[in-house]
Amino acid sequence: METKTQLTEEELVARAQKGDRQAMSRLVIDYRSRIYHLGLRLTGNEQDAEDILQETFLTMVKKIHQFKGNSSFYTWIYRIAVNIGLRKLKSKPHKYQHISIDDPDFEYISSTETAEWPTFDYSRVSQKHFRKKLDQLIEKLPDKYRTVFILRDLHELSTEDTGKILQITPSNTKIRLMRARNFLKEELEKLVNTEALI
Amino acid sequence: MKNSSKLHKQICEYLGCDLDSEPCKQIQDYLTECPGYKVYVDKIKKTVSLYKIADKYDDIPEDVCNKLFVSLNIDNMSRSGKESGK
Repeated sequence: METKTQLTEEELVARAQKGDRQAMSRLVIDYRSRIYHLGLRLTGNEQDAEDILQETFLTMVKKIHQFKGNSSFYTWIYRIAVNIGLRKLKSKPHKYQHISIDDPDFEYISSTETAEWPTFDYSRVSQKHFRKKLDQLIEKLPDKYRTVFILRDLHELSTEDTGKILQITPSNTKIRLMRARNFLKEELEKLVNTEALI
Repeated sequence: MKNSSKLHKQICEYLGCDLDSEPCKQIQDYLTECPGYKVYVDKIKKTVSLYKIADKYDDIPEDVCNKLFVSLNIDNMSRSGKESGK
């Protein structure tokens, strides 16, 4: 594959479908970090993230010939990873008690929203214990909300693609995202007020 | 704070959309007189920013990468300095 660095993703996929191992390698390189992070945020566990990474790409190698190009390749690979991740989550007891945010009240802005947060010291995020706090909050989110938050806000996928991956409507995607953001904001608020983390 | 159903629907749309998209900006303009709303949106933006930054600190470990390629039985092309950097 002499000019692989200049190949488009479409061309790489086409070559991989014909069994080109170098093209497959390129696709793995392009997506491995994103899939690993997806698994890590989804499960909160490095071993599970590694399992998701391996299973996702093993599935890719095995089934890439079935990819028809009806959606983008990244939608296809993300869907595989999300399904593997959600299946893994279902098979394990949750580390934290999930809160219920299905209540429509979660769509309302609190009328007591008056106190501004101080300017963030974003360098605090480099501290491991601070990131652990953030991880704990995100892990409290029910799976269906956490998944949307990860795909939309962390991986910056569109509402439409997130909906396609999770097989939910765009409206449902938006509502879930809003509730997830609201929940995390409320929880961060508690940290700001009680532990002066920011 | 205004809380009509129409306004509420718009806010729902806003919060589910990209925060810098044009419709969001229009709603934000419309609500500039509502200080509680501005505070709320600022907090949502800061919340998302914190998580985005935190996400960047967790690199994929090299041994995990190596094991992946071994399990797939394909060569790791990035070792020859051809990684795309995505």
